[in-house]
Amino acid sequence: MKEIDIPIEASVDRNRTNPLARVFDELVRFCRSRSMFMLHYCTGCGAIELPPAMTSRFDMERLGIQPMVTPRQADILLITGYVSIKTLKRVILTYEQMGSPKYVIGICSCTVNGGMYWQSYATAKQLDQYLPVDLYIAGCMPRPEAVLEGMRKLMDRIRSGEADGWKDYYRRYDWYLGNQQHLFGDDWQTPADVIGEASHYDLAGPGTEGEHTRLLQQCQKPLEPQQTFFQIGGSLEVKGESHE
Amino acid sequence: MSKKVTPWLDNLLQEIEGIEIRRKDSRRVRIDIAADSLPTLLELLRGRAGYVHLSAITCVDWIDESQFELVYQLWSYESQSLVSAHIRIARDPGVYVSVFDLYQPAAFFERDIHEMFGVYFEGSPDMSKFILTEWNGPPPMRKEFDAEAWVNETFERKEYQPDWLKEITEQGGGIVKSPEEARQKKP
Ligand code: SF4
Repeated sequence: MKEIDIPIEASVDRNRTNPLARVFDELVRFCRSRSMFMLHYCTGCGAIELPPAMTSRFDMERLGIQPMVTPRQADILLITGYVSIKTLKRVILTYEQMGSPKYVIGICSCTVNGGMYWQSYATAKQLDQYLPVDLYIAGCMPRPEAVLEGMRKLMDRIRSGEADGWKDYYRRYDWYLGNQQHLFGDDWQTPADVIGEASHYDLAGPGTEGEHTRLLQQCQKPLEPQQTFFQIGGSLEVKGESHE
Repeated sequence: MSKKVTPWLDNLLQEIEGIEIRRKDSRRVRIDIAADSLPTLLELLRGRAGYVHLSAITCVDWIDESQFELVYQLWSYESQSLVSAHIRIARDPGVYVSVFDLYQPAAFFERDIHEMFGVYFEGSPDMSKFILTEWNGPPPMRKEFDAEAWVNETFERKEYQPDWLKEITEQGGGIVKSPEEARQKKP
């Protein structure tokens, strides 16, 4: 595979001299809060309240919130219920693929503190130790009214600029990664280059790198293309590589 | 075909040693059998009596008796009846033979039991990790595994003590009526 060098323009040199910059920012935030695409990762039973919230009865779409099918085009990652340790890995992979700015909502008591699975060996207890959660909607499970209420709250917070959990993930990546490594083991890695992204967004701070990121760099293995196998007539043949 | 466990099956089964048959109802039979004879029993039930469907193998941990109980649920489409065959094996070393050659779905059940209880099935095609691919601890369904202690060791808890909760705690906790009291009031 050939290495491609894409020049990245650092946002540091961009001076904000335009007097209308702040007005413009506000407009951007307003528009952002009125058009949100939501990736609902239905991890637990709380997901059952989403169909009524999205369909004609409560109709989230009138607030500008729509379901989205791919992480790369979504703004909100909705975690609906308990996350098992196995799921948490996938959730983190999904989160890191989303483009910034991105928001995480934890629905259900299970994401807050383990909920009724407080003594289960299989579920992670506090979601905000592994991902920056912007908003929790507690309840077992929260009614669609509560979900809508939470969404409105998130809209307000986006408009006022308070919902900046995604910045926190870049600023304190070492801490988040440490918690992830505590659960998944030292060889945990994701394809995303979070440190590189942090410096791209000009958000790299003292907490971005640390002992855990050093451990990550030590254990990092180069990603290999996944091979697809098809079984034809009893013999195994390699048919193609999925990255091409 | 009558929808009953056929009476001749009883006669057939009586010939196996160490067997105890209990009829739960007209379409359900419980068989307790010595662990050595189980493959014979299954072969008989499958080959001669039409119990071709193994719906599940379940495991029970009897820690005080230092035994595992394995329950094989067999279903016959012809007589529409269920036979559950119970065996006990020693908890240590917890090894038993696979019935994969008789019932192929057994591979999944055995793999699952191996993961959850640590019982090893000799001759099973795959004893690798199944569902708990992220788990490195002891088999979690064994009775001696203390999930609560493990959780307390692994996770931190968030403190949540708002004022309104304090008031309720002072009045004796969130439980307004004790379960005993609630039960008594019912006629
Ligand atoms: S809080 Fe209740 S409804 Fe929500 S995931 Fe947990 S158990 Fe299910």
